[in-house]
Amino acid sequence: MNGATRNLIEVRDLTVGYGNRVVLDKVNFDVRRGEVFAILGASGSGKSTLLKHLIGLYRPIGGDVLISGASIVQAEGEERMRILRKFGVLYQSGALFGSLTTVENVRLPLDEFTDLSEVAKDLIALSKLRLVGLESAATRLPADLSGGMQKRAGIARAIVMDPCLLFLDEPSAGLDPITSAGLDALIRELAHGLGITFVMVTHELASIYSVADRVIVLDPLIRGIAAEGAPAWLREHAPEPWVRKFLNREAA
Amino acid sequence: MPVSSPVELPVRWELSARSDGTSRLVITGELDTESTPLAWRNLESELAGIKTSRIEVDVQKLVCDSAGLALLYHLSIGGMTPGANVTLIGLNPELQHLLRSFSKEDFETLQEHEPTCSSIVEDVGAATSTWLSDLRQQIEFIGEVTAGVITSLVIPRRMHWKEVFRVFEAAGVNALPVVSLLTFLVGMVIAFESAQPLAQFGAQVFVANLLGLVMSRELGPVMAAIMLAGRSGSAFAAELGTMKVNEEINALETMGLSPVKFLVIQRVVAGILLTPVLTVFAIYAGLLGGIPVLLGLGFPLRMVLLQIQTSLHFGDIAEGLSKSVAFGAIVASVSCLRGLQTGEGPRAVGESTTRSVVSSILLIIFADAIFAAITYNLRK
Repeated sequence: MNGATRNLIEVRDLTVGYGNRVVLDKVNFDVRRGEVFAILGASGSGKSTLLKHLIGLYRPIGGDVLISGASIVQAEGEERMRILRKFGVLYQSGALFGSLTTVENVRLPLDEFTDLSEVAKDLIALSKLRLVGLESAATRLPADLSGGMQKRAGIARAIVMDPCLLFLDEPSAGLDPITSAGLDALIRELAHGLGITFVMVTHELASIYSVADRVIVLDPLIRGIAAEGAPAWLREHAPEPWVRKFLNREAA
Repeated sequence: MPVSSPVELPVRWELSARSDGTSRLVITGELDTESTPLAWRNLESELAGIKTSRIEVDVQKLVCDSAGLALLYHLSIGGMTPGANVTLIGLNPELQHLLRSFSKEDFETLQEHEPTCSSIVEDVGAATSTWLSDLRQQIEFIGEVTAGVITSLVIPRRMHWKEVFRVFEAAGVNALPVVSLLTFLVGMVIAFESAQPLAQFGAQVFVANLLGLVMSRELGPVMAAIMLAGRSGSAFAAELGTMKVNEEINALETMGLSPVKFLVIQRVVAGILLTPVLTVFAIYAGLLGGIPVLLGLGFPLRMVLLQIQTSLHFGDIAEGLSKSVAFGAIVASVSCLRGLQTGEGPRAVGESTTRSVVSSILLIIFADAIFAAITYNLRK
């Protein structure tokens, strides 16, 4: 298997920042097809900024991001839309549209991008809701859902077009440990059952050990990656002592 | 008799009827979001004419995504062949697993779900009760604001004067150019419009008197207040509304701080202090707008100024300024009240901003009418 098919995302010399302030300097890493990849780091280390560059919301200062070999940085117009449709994104708060019911939220991409019949769209949307365990909340408005339910509805909307790649921004932020564990189980199920590649930003160590195949740890001091590897391995063998402490949940 | 599907689709099917009344449908190829819509329609119309008690659907050589699975599911529950018993064979285990997430019950529940429609009696009742609780809230609010403003004026130490000055700058100083421009133009328009009818009586010089009176008594304070409502009242409502949505108002309450005392009083005091100042500028700008018109009609500047001076009395200016104090208090407090009444959700802040501008302008005109009645009777 050559590199192009093995890696779903390739990040090359990516330099990101705001104005003159560089947050990450010449970062390189790959995300392999089918893995659950986590971006770790303390608050303010640029995790969410990095994610927003991976999904093409922000333009980097320098470098490139390739998704299935196509650059999301250089793509424009129709080509960019084509790359964007390949993946789903779950935003921190779920980002459901408040005026639509849960099932309408999930159906929205189908309404916009396909010619499927009403029956087909309803069937697909409901099956995705059942996958995330929300079939009974289909006709409720997002405001009536709890935080964990909103995130699961957000995942259902993100997977409705059968993406091969899903980005999650802090999936367990603001959730209780039990709901968060349920979300981890859902991520594992989707990753193994549907073969979806996950890229998630998080600082929830428990969920990293339970779902992530590989992690990178961002260091605000060197403005780059301090360590990369399987979380359990890094916990013992990371070159930087603070990374080992971080992963063992000790104060640095 | 085998029937084949159109060639342009990446998916093909073959339907064969057996002698025992059962049928066999073999689907091969690829069913994705692109090909499914057409395949769905074609397959449905093709199966509509078939009378059979049992169909075996062979999908061993079919690749499909969620859209294709939806089709297979619809087929398997008899959605295209009512009354027939449909079995899927050869579906790979992975898709089998996914197919289990489709549910007929969920679909039926969704179809049966109708948006709740309330009766007119219910609507009237709900509207009345909202109106009453709104009224109650307003009365409480007026009381709290009045008490707060009086205490803070009696004991000025208790006020956050820094905040008052910030509002003063944002809502007052920064509004000067636009308020001046507005009344300058209004003054010009009034001079132009009144010059012609007055000319018929040879009374064109009285345009100056008219301008002085209308600007100082009516348009100066009203224009300044409307501008304040649109520019700053909406900002107050949006600011407080966002704080409400972000639970900052709740945070204040749980800290034992009254949001009215902490956020509203400063704005109301700033509103009361800055509106008269804005009004003075508005009056001046209005007169300045009318003067060029009068000069253009051939009156010398000295004569125009003298006309304005003799026609304007202290009472007129006092009336305008006292109105403007009331307008300032109304705009600031109503906008803050609408901000504090903000509900939940992304639309709430927009709604309360709209309501703040609408209620402010309505109340300004109401108050203006009351003032007009009072001053008319006083002058008699």
